[in-house]
Amino acid sequence: MTRSTGFSFIAPLLVLMVVAFNAPIVYMLGLAFWEKGRGFTLEHYEGLVEAPVYLRVLGNTMRIALIATLANIVIGYPLAHWMRGLGSRGRMIAIALVVLPFWVSILVRTYAWIVVLGNGGIVNRALQWSGLTDSPVSFLYNELGVTIGMANVLLPFLVLPLFAAMLRIDDRLLQAAASLGAPPRTIFWKVYFPLTLPALAAGSLLVFILCLGFYVTPAILGGGRVPMISNLLDTLINQIPRWEQASAISTILLIVTLAIFAAYRRLDRKASA
Amino acid sequence: MKRRTFVGAATALTGASFLPGFANAQSKEIRMIESGGASGESIQKGYIDPLKAKTGINVVRESPSSLGKLRALVESGQTGTTLFELGSGVVLQAKKLGLIEKLDWAAINPAPMFPEAKNEYGFGYQYFSTIMAWRKGAKEPKNFTEFFDTKAFPGKRCLPDYPHYCLPFAVQAAGVPIDKLFPLDVDLAFKKLNEIKKDVAVWWKAGAQPPQLMKDNEVQYSICWSGRVVGDPAFGLNFAGGKADLSFICVVKGSKPEDKAAANKLFYEMSLPENQAKAAEVISYTGPSPTLDALLPKDKLWQFPTSKQNKDVQYFENAEWWADNGEAVNKKWEAFKLSL
Repeated sequence: MTRSTGFSFIAPLLVLMVVAFNAPIVYMLGLAFWEKGRGFTLEHYEGLVEAPVYLRVLGNTMRIALIATLANIVIGYPLAHWMRGLGSRGRMIAIALVVLPFWVSILVRTYAWIVVLGNGGIVNRALQWSGLTDSPVSFLYNELGVTIGMANVLLPFLVLPLFAAMLRIDDRLLQAAASLGAPPRTIFWKVYFPLTLPALAAGSLLVFILCLGFYVTPAILGGGRVPMISNLLDTLINQIPRWEQASAISTILLIVTLAIFAAYRRLDRKASA
Repeated sequence: MKRRTFVGAATALTGASFLPGFANAQSKEIRMIESGGASGESIQKGYIDPLKAKTGINVVRESPSSLGKLRALVESGQTGTTLFELGSGVVLQAKKLGLIEKLDWAAINPAPMFPEAKNEYGFGYQYFSTIMAWRKGAKEPKNFTEFFDTKAFPGKRCLPDYPHYCLPFAVQAAGVPIDKLFPLDVDLAFKKLNEIKKDVAVWWKAGAQPPQLMKDNEVQYSICWSGRVVGDPAFGLNFAGGKADLSFICVVKGSKPEDKAAANKLFYEMSLPENQAKAAEVISYTGPSPTLDALLPKDKLWQFPTSKQNKDVQYFENAEWWADNGEAVNKKWEAFKLSL
């Protein structure tokens, strides 16, 4: 009885998901297998194998996503750790600052980097004024620019779950380790870090998957020099338009993403078992 | 009896909705998807406003236009949009995909037009040029061989991230004259691009990028659309070797007859040189009337793609070649982009 009532509460959402989300995805995936008038075909996948340039763009996307995720970890982990040590007011301010980017349009944030990092931007002028460099450093229109922009946009996705996990760590565990004579470094690596690892892994995975679909930041900060899969899909869908080819690439992207997620779940279960 | 009443009523109904269709009834409002920006405003001021004043027909504009959007419109059976702006190469693709209708030129009955603008499937309404431009103060190249010579003409470049805008210029840089560009030597083009690629700071996707990047001094030289740079004292420019191209307005497949009748009225307005002169006040691109030059301000003739002095030094886009080879070249382009 309770079971069926629960289901009826969920049913509207389920219908919405199936109609508005799942059905179009199935249709999109199916596009790659059907040729008008001829029925089932694999030629759009064969095309991918014959001209592996699209797959190489996918590989490049993975590489950039990995770099951006690592950058996020390097910046985000110490930041979350530092926030844990703050007083309650300090924490409020720090969280507000981390979440702030969510309230600003991604376009505005991305264009802001042009003002900050451009040849005539604040950073380059400061560097030249201080005599550290003679000519402007190219921060933009390369992989560095894209990585900076993506790290900036995605940082909250890593910091917030990480910070939440760190807050839950019982201080007495750390004190116990200290009372048993462990030096701070050992306490960190043997007690603190393993406790944050699940949140770190989940946050990194989230960031990585979001990176795979990034469109606007590479388009603006990459200067057309950093090919990413979503920009390629835009060309295939809007300009050429080869929806079938785009569908085949999207399918592969989806499978790769699911595989990564499955691998993570396996690791996670092993770790918690 | 009942059945007969029904049939009678049905005949009366279809008659009522069909008959005025034959007696050239037309919609009072149709929808158009165009490429937006100043170009869209020029359509408004040059053609839609006069149409409305004369006939009371209004055209509602939306933007931007892309072939993918057109395909989605037609395949979803959406017939609310009648007019769609497409580039010259795209018209051929759209025709092949069955997304646009033949124009009824007899019904449009246009004023005299350049022949290439009177396409079976589209009304060529706007000439635009893709040319070289530079930030004032940079050494001024006279042709694309010089433009591609980054030793003699030092500075960062900004080139289009579209092969059909980029490759013909690269071939010119290798010494091919503008009347021998097609069939395009794709390998030669990529060889030339490989030589210059380390000096290309940005490959642009949006026409607004190159002028902004030149103003910010991120790049010193660009290949860009003429309308974005002419008349701005911050830039120097040269039409030599540039590409003259034509934008078309097409009729979406499956449009209603009364909407098409209204569209034909707009096409007629678009063929009038006095309206094209009004449009050219908004954007320095020109309409297809051979007598337009006389109506344009003399001191601005140098800015327009079709004025005599500019038309002679440019090549005209070869849409057929791109329709046949575009997709294969595009794959090579993606491979080239991966090598950056």
